[in-house]
Order: sequence, then structure tokens, then C-alpha cells
Amino acid sequence: MEERLYDLIFICRPATPEDEIKKIIAAVESACAEKGAKIEKNEMWGTRKLAYRVAKHREGFYVYMQIRTSHGELIAELERRLRVQDAVIKYLTVRLDEDLKRQQKLSAHRAKRAARRPKRAPAEQQPAAAS
Amino acid sequence: MTEEQKPAAPAPPTGSPAPQRREGGPGGPRREGGPGGPGGPRRGGKRQFFRRKKVCKFCVEKIDFIDYKKAEMLAAYVQERGKILPRRMTGTCSRHQRWLGVAIKRARNIALLPFAGHTPGAGASLSHRGGDGHRGDRGDRGGDRGGDRGGDRGHDRAERQATPPAAPAERPPSQNPG
Repeated sequence: MEERLYDLIFICRPATPEDEIKKIIAAVESACAEKGAKIEKNEMWGTRKLAYRVAKHREGFYVYMQIRTSHGELIAELERRLRVQDAVIKYLTVRLDEDLKRQQKLSAHRAKRAARRPKRAPAEQQPAAAS
Repeated sequence: MTEEQKPAAPAPPTGSPAPQRREGGPGGPRREGGPGGPGGPRRGGKRQFFRRKKVCKFCVEKIDFIDYKKAEMLAAYVQERGKILPRRMTGTCSRHQRWLGVAIKRARNIALLPFAGHTPGAGASLSHRGGDGHRGDRGDRGGDRGGDRGGDRGHDRAERQATPPAAPAERPPSQNPG
């Protein structure tokens, strides 16, 4: 199977102690390691003001992780584990690889087109419809 | 004599070119929303006859992936009340407007942007008009400041009742959009 890239963001209650958050992150990491997934990024954004009240809180501790895996069902497992935790009030997983593939394709197209133009600049500019 | 000259003045001659009549050809195409159709072939608002040419910021900066995590950037495309701005206001192209919508909805789900209510930094991409005032949004008529709608329901009614809302008192019943 091809490798998929996922974004996982979850929000913890604002007053959660650091080690509890670390425990949650460790649980996520161990679940990933079981299935052989790689964690590309792991960021703690800290306490931020929420745009609306979630579970009666106006602030939350944001954690952001990026996971690369070829097992899609890992995400369901992670979400299940996060749902169980009391400290986690919201989570969101986003699949990113298709978006990034499209982004790379577009930038590659753009680079190709830009490379062609200076050669044809003195003559007329052919639309280069083959790209 | 004079009778022959009279019909020439009041009655407009049918065949000869009359300098007083302008059918809108050389006079200037002001009806179709400005020369070149900058942002909308349709008449969006009756008060906006001509629009400045607005370019799609994402096309200019060659951004191919609109990140939902960047709330400050997305807030520029969102009204004060949290609604997504239409394309004709921001000048975004259709492809980027679709991606923008997806990113804003994701950001809303993760509480980086509100579904409804006050957004700090919103509407920053509207440089020529002041926000959504001229559209006469339905909700603005009822003293809906401070996010009375969307968001908290019931839990802090008590703290809101302590400070009586001054907005309805200020507004007279006549609700003419300024």
C-alpha cells in the first residue's frame, strides 16, 4: 500500500499538567509504533484561546502531530484512544497526501512552464498545450 | 417656412443621426459592471457599479496548498461574524475559493475559527468597503453584537444578564441600513 500522510490535532483541557499531556502523546506514539507508522512532526502549540466554547472551556492546549503510515485503520485506533481520554476535548485528523501530491504536481507544472518561456520569448509564445 | 422647420426640432428624425440620443454604444459601457468585467459579470449589488480589479492573492503568490492551521491568514477571508466572504468581495479565483472553503471549515472544526461570532482580524481582505454593512445582513438588525448567537447557550446567561446589553437601547426601531 502506498504511504499516507495524516495530520492529527487534538486539544486538551487548559489546566492539564504537562506530564499528562506527555502521557497521551506517548500513548499515541506507541500505537503508531505498533503498526509501524512514522511520526514526522510532533508539536505542542501550547494554550490558545478557542474560537468557541468546547466542553465549557474557553482555552485549550493544542498538540499537533503528523503521521506517515500505510495502514489507514491506525487512524481509527488513534481516534478511539483519544476519545477515551478525559483530558482530550477535541481532535481532528486530516489526510494530507492527496493535497500535497496535487500541490507538487502544480508546482512542477509551473516550473516546467517557466522553464519553457525564456526559450520562446523572442519568437511567439506557444501555448505548450502538451504540459 | 416656419412650418417646415418645426417638425425638424421637436420630432426626432428617424433616419438622420441625432446627436442628443445616445443608445449606449459610444457612451460608455457603464451598465455591465465596468470595462473588462473585473470581478463579476452579474450585478452583485445595485450600489456597486464599478469595481476595482481584484486579483486572487493565492494565484499571485503561487500558493498551492491552503493550510487550515493558519488561522490568521484564513481570518482575512471571513466576515466579522464568522461567515465566509464571497468570491466577488475578495477577488479569489474559483479554484482557490473552493480550497479556502475547505480550509476554513476544517479550521472551524478544530476551534481555530468560529462558526458564528466575533472573529478578530476578520474581513482584512476587504480593503475598499467596510465589511458587511452595506449588505444589510439580517442578523445585524437585532442588536446582535458580542456574539449573542452561536457559541454558548444557557450556561452563561447569568453573567450576561448582569451586564444589560446596551445595543438594543441605542437602536431606534427604524432600521434603515446606513
